[in-house]
Amino acid sequence: MPSPASREAEPGTNAPGILARATGARVWRDHSLLLWAHFLVPPVLAALVVAAALASPELAGILAGAVLAIAAVSARSLLTRLSKAEEAGLALNNQLIQSQKLAAIGELSAGLAHEINNPIAIIAQEAEWAAHLVGEAGQRTGEAFDEVKDSLREIRAQVDRCKNITHKLLDFARKREPVLQEIDVARLIDDMARLVDKEASYKNVTLVRTLPPDLPKLRTDAPLLRQVVLNLMTNALHAVDTGGRIEASARADGEVLEIAIRDNGCGIPPENIDKIFNPFFTTKPPGQGTGLGLSMCHNLVDGMKGQICVESAVGRGATFTVRLPRNPEQNLADGGRT
Amino acid sequence: MDIKILLVDDESDFVETMAKRFGIRKMPIDTARSGQEALELLAAQDYDVVILDVRMPGMDGLETLREIREKNPLTEVIMLTGHASLEAGMQGMNLGAYDYILKPADFDELLDKVRTAFERKELNAKSRKQGG
Repeated sequence: MPSPASREAEPGTNAPGILARATGARVWRDHSLLLWAHFLVPPVLAALVVAAALASPELAGILAGAVLAIAAVSARSLLTRLSKAEEAGLALNNQLIQSQKLAAIGELSAGLAHEINNPIAIIAQEAEWAAHLVGEAGQRTGEAFDEVKDSLREIRAQVDRCKNITHKLLDFARKREPVLQEIDVARLIDDMARLVDKEASYKNVTLVRTLPPDLPKLRTDAPLLRQVVLNLMTNALHAVDTGGRIEASARADGEVLEIAIRDNGCGIPPENIDKIFNPFFTTKPPGQGTGLGLSMCHNLVDGMKGQICVESAVGRGATFTVRLPRNPEQNLADGGRT
Repeated sequence: MDIKILLVDDESDFVETMAKRFGIRKMPIDTARSGQEALELLAAQDYDVVILDVRMPGMDGLETLREIREKNPLTEVIMLTGHASLEAGMQGMNLGAYDYILKPADFDELLDKVRTAFERKELNAKSRKQGG
């Protein structure tokens, strides 16, 4: 029978692995010897001290001090271990909650958008028809219907705005089955950076690319990843002040490829950091952003079997990191086996 | 493995030169001078890859892209973007274009992108067939 350890996949690359580590099952299996030591060494040493006290009380005093120190170190390292496991569990929980929340909101908004689309279309039609009638009446009577026409035009404009939002919502909730192709990430990032370069130069912002030449190829969905990278870059550009700096970097980390977009802009206040991937969350003035950009990124990265996270402090910029499995099919197979 | 390509641009000179360059490589392409014309061609037959200028009089590239994505979701679109229309290029990516290329287009680069776009279309078509 194969030992459980031999069937273990790379750490942190699949959900069961993360779950096992988070719940502590994995800690016990991988480090059982160490844990036995943690639990047994201090009492054994204490017993020795008691035994030594029979021979020489002075020696026992010194030994007792040493044992106390060892026990303290042991307890401390155990505590660190525990809190680490707890943190990992918490992070995983948050990730799951976030994904579930986004999926639920996506479904809800798609349903809503679909329902609202029909009345909007009718309003648009009626407004057009009314404009037509007013035009004819105006010709016949010679009266000025300018104000009526103006308000009808405004109705059309606002209806268009609604349509824009419902289309974005439907697009947001659309399920995309990723199509995997081998892609050159460095080139992809550079291509997207070139689209942003000009707008950046207007703001006197430098867009630095830190792309190692030996970056391995990645199997992923090219247009989806382009959208993610582009969205993160434009986001960064909106966050920095004139003269700011944005850095787009990529590096390989085992079976994972990590893309990071770092800016030295205003940063994200702690009370907002949990909300930034929520749909409709925006700090821009009304009408200037639907608040769907980052949640869209989250959706897309989720679909590519990757993770997206953010690190930021007010006034110290923000870093968005996207971690993608270099070979998502491989990971799926591993996940099914363990 | 023939790739069915449609090039959409209102600049006649550019379209003709491109058609010739593809022709030399034994890759005949169809051309359209407006978004409207492109959509008519797309309604009549299937194309694998559409190379689409974002800036055209009348129905512009983005509007055309939106229509193509809706009516021919399998067809991949590569946007032709000028230095003056980078913003439109960005919007194009968000509307689901496969990639973009900056004008004046480097032909080998364009060819490369057309090939990978075609590859994606084939993979996509295959997985959809399997999926149902």
